[in-house]
Amino acid sequence: MAKPPEPLADVLPQARWVVDAEVIEVVASGPTPPRKDAPPGSTSVGNLAAAQTVKLAVKQVLRGDSVRELVVEKPAAGYALKPGDKGPFLVDANMVILGRYGPDSWHPERIAAALKG
Amino acid sequence: MPQISDRRLSSLYSTFEAQHRSNPSLKLGQEQVFQLLAQIGDRSGWSSNKVLAELKKPGVSREQQVALVQRGMTASEKRDLAAIVDSGQVPLEPSAKQFLDAVLGRSTTVTPPPTNGLTITGDQKNGLSGITKAGAQIEAINLSTAPTGRYRVDDTMVVGKAGQDGRFDMAKLTGDMAMREGDVVRIRARYDDGSTSDWVTINAKGLETRDTRNAAVALFRIGLSDAGNGKIAVTNINASRQISEPGARLQLTNNRTRESFSVTLDDKGNFPANFTVNGRAGDSFTVAATDGKNNVDFREAVGNVTVPGGQPGTQDLVPDPALHKDELDAAGKPRFSKARFTGPLFIDGPKAEDVAQGQIGNCYFPAAMAAIAKINPDAITRMIKDNGDGTFTVTFKQRDWATGRFKDVPVKVDADLYVRSFGGPLYGRSTNSNDARQMELWYPLVEKAYAQWKGSYNDIGNGGLVNDVFEACLGQNAEYMALSWSNETRVFDTIKRALDAKKPVGAGTFGSDESSRYTNTGVYADHAYSILGYEQQGTEKLIVLRNPWAESEPRNNGPNDGIFKLKVSEFMKLFQSLMWVE
Repeated sequence: MAKPPEPLADVLPQARWVVDAEVIEVVASGPTPPRKDAPPGSTSVGNLAAAQTVKLAVKQVLRGDSVRELVVEKPAAGYALKPGDKGPFLVDANMVILGRYGPDSWHPERIAAALKG
Repeated sequence: MPQISDRRLSSLYSTFEAQHRSNPSLKLGQEQVFQLLAQIGDRSGWSSNKVLAELKKPGVSREQQVALVQRGMTASEKRDLAAIVDSGQVPLEPSAKQFLDAVLGRSTTVTPPPTNGLTITGDQKNGLSGITKAGAQIEAINLSTAPTGRYRVDDTMVVGKAGQDGRFDMAKLTGDMAMREGDVVRIRARYDDGSTSDWVTINAKGLETRDTRNAAVALFRIGLSDAGNGKIAVTNINASRQISEPGARLQLTNNRTRESFSVTLDDKGNFPANFTVNGRAGDSFTVAATDGKNNVDFREAVGNVTVPGGQPGTQDLVPDPALHKDELDAAGKPRFSKARFTGPLFIDGPKAEDVAQGQIGNCYFPAAMAAIAKINPDAITRMIKDNGDGTFTVTFKQRDWATGRFKDVPVKVDADLYVRSFGGPLYGRSTNSNDARQMELWYPLVEKAYAQWKGSYNDIGNGGLVNDVFEACLGQNAEYMALSWSNETRVFDTIKRALDAKKPVGAGTFGSDESSRYTNTGVYADHAYSILGYEQQGTEKLIVLRNPWAESEPRNNGPNDGIFKLKVSEFMKLFQSLMWVE
């Protein structure tokens, strides 16, 4: 995909939860999306990694109801999750992880500042 | 010829006499005196070359130089030297004569060092010489070359150090600041306590027979704005840096009315306050300059500058490339509007840090442009021409497959860009500002022209190759290496060789089928990066990369500006391909 993350200001209003969390289990994985061919060395081709359902252990809730675990969907996207991956997760009301790169979409300090501001 | 008994000294002085005959203005300065004294001081057990090297060693005081020569000087050589000073036909610079008198042990009238100042003496044939406080560091800037660099007027270069007697000699500016005849050079002394002398400004002389270098002009710093009542305010948009050399005279000619206006720049190389010319928004002006010696009739123009505005948005100057399909609604209509950007084409020239990828899948393009901007910014400056009417011509290179040669492909665009609801550009932007009046234009315009050339933003926004952009911008063949078929040494050497040869380099990560290896690394799958440099610290080899998003990078890599370093071993794990210009 390799587009930059969406502007945080566009995404944050959709977030029901903003949590600092770690992936503890990949519960399920979806089918691999259709792939586009491209010459060797091409980037921004836009092929997506399969959707996943993952369980998050929540260390801190920055927005939303207090929870210790969340089972959420990682949509077909340009990133994939595995146990041990961590960072700030923005999750919408449908329990879908927001942000083009999940926990690597925005610097945690920027999210914290946006939540304060 | 004075009576000189030493054969080698006599031979050397004959050479000076011959040079003087062919150039009667020649005087013996510091350099020539060193050569003479090296022949005299060589009886102390040192060769004349060793003496010469010791005399020229930085930080050696005049007293030490005198003592060094006296230690090796015979009575006969002393007589020879006195003959040169007293009856030699080749005139001596005052400072040179004073030096030789000191070697001869004659009482001399020594110019006292200024108590808090700096005096420049003689000409600059052998560099800057003068007198200041003992031990002071000498700093200088060439104000004739600085405007088109990125120098502020106090971005000085350390060129020498005064000895214990406060004197300094042969202090030379180098690189793009090297002095030529007539250049305006500003010098100051920096004392041990950190304070400085007043600036001393000179016009370099003695370097060439004629001043042939005209005043350079930083066209990209000239800001024009409609001041109303038919007046255009002319300012420096970056007043900490120069428009041209101090005292240069600029002429602005309105291309609509053909009316010309001239102005003399102040002692900082800036426009005087409240300088205006006649015109209106949308007018373009041709700029010419003279340093008083060259181009005095303003016949040679530097380029054009345009007054922003006119009737923004009411007239599309050049049809724009269509949006990417993701930004069209179900009916195929654009979901984003356009705005006319009127900022400067360049602010201090193209830089890698200017470039920021927009919401479009063309990472290969900004990665390649940032790599070129880092290593060969002039190539970008040459690519883009401001037509002076609100349009710009970007010239790409296309390979002619019949001949194998590259041919020019000029693409004309205006500065209307698709914008988000908050006004910032939707696609490629510059990092300095999102404001339509301030954003540096070069990167979004080159991207727009590339989209125009290829058909639309959709045609460039679904992936591509860094190599294609290198070739399209530089007209040179680009190479590709699959890293899995190589090794750390070969990869590092390839990067080093290319960057040392001023050739841009980029790299690509694995595709999304390998995306799980990237989570939490600060590096992203299916993505292109610019390679800005390399470092070798002992056995550790590092590669300096830049994310074209202008942010997002591995942790503990300084500010979140997209620039980071990876060990070559980490680079090999995270990257799939390397691309560079041959």
